[in-house]
Amino acid sequence: MSTAIRFVRRGISGFVLRRVLLGLLTLLLVSVIVFAATQALPSDPARAILGRTATPESLAALRKQLNLTGSIPGQYAHWLKGFVTGDFGNSLAARGEPVTQVLGKRLENSAFLVLIAGEVSIPLSILLGVLAARRRDGPFDHTSSLLMLALAALPEFVVGIALVVLFGTTVFHWLPAVSLIPPEDTPFQHLKALILPVATLVLAVSPYIARIMRASMVEVLESDFVEMARLKGMPERHVLWRHAVPNAVAPAIQVIALNLAYLAGGIVVVEFVFGYPGIGSALVDAVANRDLPVVQALAILIAGVYVALNLMADVATILVSPRLRTSLR
Amino acid sequence: MTEHLTRDELLRRAAAGGALIAASGALSDAALAGGRAAKPKKGGTFRIGVSGGSTKDFIDGQDIVTRPDQARIVTGWETLVNFSPQFKLVFTGLAEEISAKSADVWTIRVRPGIEFHNGKTLGADDVIYSLQRLVNPKLGLFGGAALKSLDPTRMKKVDKRTVRLFLKQKDVTILDALGQYIAGIVPVGYSPDAVGKANPNVGTGPYKVQSFTPGQQSTHLRNPNYWRSGQPYFDKVVIIDFPDDTARVNALLGGQIDAMTDVPPAQVAVVNGHSGTKVLESPSAAWTPICMRVDAPPFDDVRVRQAMRLIANRPQMVQQALAGHGHIGNDLYGIFDEVFAKDLPQRHQDIAKAKSLLKAAGHENLTVDLQSTNGALGMNEGAQVFAQQAKAAGVTVNAKILDSGAFYGDQYLKWPFSTDFWGSRNYLSQVAAGSLPTSPYNETHWPDTKDNKFLSLYKQALKTVDRKKRAAIEHEMQKMEYDKGGYIIWGFSTLLDGYATKVKGLKQGDKGVLPLNAFGHGYRTIWFG
Repeated sequence: MSTAIRFVRRGISGFVLRRVLLGLLTLLLVSVIVFAATQALPSDPARAILGRTATPESLAALRKQLNLTGSIPGQYAHWLKGFVTGDFGNSLAARGEPVTQVLGKRLENSAFLVLIAGEVSIPLSILLGVLAARRRDGPFDHTSSLLMLALAALPEFVVGIALVVLFGTTVFHWLPAVSLIPPEDTPFQHLKALILPVATLVLAVSPYIARIMRASMVEVLESDFVEMARLKGMPERHVLWRHAVPNAVAPAIQVIALNLAYLAGGIVVVEFVFGYPGIGSALVDAVANRDLPVVQALAILIAGVYVALNLMADVATILVSPRLRTSLR
Repeated sequence: MTEHLTRDELLRRAAAGGALIAASGALSDAALAGGRAAKPKKGGTFRIGVSGGSTKDFIDGQDIVTRPDQARIVTGWETLVNFSPQFKLVFTGLAEEISAKSADVWTIRVRPGIEFHNGKTLGADDVIYSLQRLVNPKLGLFGGAALKSLDPTRMKKVDKRTVRLFLKQKDVTILDALGQYIAGIVPVGYSPDAVGKANPNVGTGPYKVQSFTPGQQSTHLRNPNYWRSGQPYFDKVVIIDFPDDTARVNALLGGQIDAMTDVPPAQVAVVNGHSGTKVLESPSAAWTPICMRVDAPPFDDVRVRQAMRLIANRPQMVQQALAGHGHIGNDLYGIFDEVFAKDLPQRHQDIAKAKSLLKAAGHENLTVDLQSTNGALGMNEGAQVFAQQAKAAGVTVNAKILDSGAFYGDQYLKWPFSTDFWGSRNYLSQVAAGSLPTSPYNETHWPDTKDNKFLSLYKQALKTVDRKKRAAIEHEMQKMEYDKGGYIIWGFSTLLDGYATKVKGLKQGDKGVLPLNAFGHGYRTIWFG
């Protein structure tokens, strides 16, 4: 492996390859840690699943059904072997249904929610940041800054519940208060039910991106090349969007990636508030039930999204920053 | 009314030498709905949001684990006998007649012409199969625990509709066990996951399962061949899991569902104040005790147990832990049972006496951990309020809130001091479930192993057919628990469920075992007005 790394050390492709290998190592570590953590939790799946209804007979029956035997390292090795060959195993709580079947639909739902939230929040927050920076210390800058700080300080469930009270239940009855998506439908068929959860997520992540965008724009707008462009008599709109924004966006990319990654793992609360059938609620449920195969699959998936987004952000940052681009050669 | 004959009357007649109970289901349902509202209307899709729920949900006519499982079991499965809205056993179920030669020989005859969802006619073989399946130790079904005296090998088919049971012992509580909603009657060969087999997930109930996604929702279609004429009224029932309280309330307020279980006490005013929604309050005999192990220090000293019981300020606990939606307890369970010992004086907080008892026991300035979990409303809240109250007596109670997997883990039923929850049961059934050495859930390890009196009283009560004599025995048992038991039973919660006012047929104040008047008795006595 080391020769392979040396062979492709140079250039952007070498950088990507190294990062991918590191990412895989990270995922392996995550799987070990998650496995160890679930083992450290008191109780076993049979007890966690049956809870108060457990009797010695039902516990024995379920343990037999779930095949909860074998040593702990043995169980891990078994899981890893399956995982590498594309077999995610069977859910314990769902009495042996394949993990892919338990999570498939929920994954689609969550991905849809995160993508829409990302597609709305990224352009919106970049725009807000740019506008605030352009009229720095103007009334728009002050109001938006204040609003952003306030929103950033509010937890999502407060924002979510406030939106529900405003648009769903108490004040107006415009939008569905919870996102009931029947299992046989796709979220695309229930766009109206997505408005409030998407709005909550947008309000949760936009402030960070907008703030960093504003700070970065302020710096760029004070730099010499912007001054130069203005002195050349270029229209202000041109200066702003052609010259300043591309240079200011580099630091924002990292924040965007972090926020998207946060969305992937952190939609738990929003899914709960809106009763949205996604992976967030599945993860909470799986931990409560000690449903190891589902916990593992989701942990790896969420970690994978983090790794991939970070990698993509680094590559994007390199591509938009000439200095970094050349240093790789 | 004949159908309101109680277990005791049945047994009294049995004692008199051969008795039978017959009842017409149609009549009693008319009585149930009578005088309540206008003529029911047919049609519509009823959507209910149910608390809890998880990928571990399942549909089995004889087993439940989660709240949504309860909501689903009543759509398709019915029992031989039922509990009435006054928590009395009534013969309005699948059994047309149940007679007892003595308390260990029971004869059951089912009604003629009842069909399962797949068209098969209900008969004696189905009853035998159902009872055998319930107590099959390999399946570990929840409903089997109360049927310990049933002998699966000694059931005799008398004719097409009649079965005779020979019990392992005389047992006057057998009808209580058969009336539990988890003792559903299933067809021969029933297995919920027997897809494509002769008898898949079918029962005799008012709705057939159409689709089911565990942890999310299920849909149930009207059973056109249902045996109670005219019922059910809805075309379709949709049961949706809502683990989050706020989301459930919001869905009801926003009109996305027509009813919901378990309104959080803090939201009662909101639901009642919103136009078009109301809270249904059903007093229940459900309790969330604080349990002291009578065989573990410091509670193995009866004076410590007595002191702890005197520490509890019960009205304050009901007020704070249940937001006032409940009534105070007297360390005794089974309040709906007619033998309930009403005459034992209500226990009040008495800090001075508690202190002197603790001093006498050598446990001044006692410090104990109280384990709890969010298993039912009132467990954690009760633990926290009690911990506050204990300070006055110089007792430090550390209320430890655990996650449910940890609480119900290996230490469950071994904690010296913990909370738990129980549903509504008659006295003897509850003793069998929680207060005997053989009970599946004996948190307190009552009774004291050195004293055989409680156990022998119980055995005697089980076979005592005479109602007065049995009541006297049950009273003596209650007195023993009242004086020396390990439970602090501080209160009984009221079931709080929400519904849209267009839903008709629900009844305020009916005694509740399952939410929403037993989910509208399987969604068949409710309709859209």
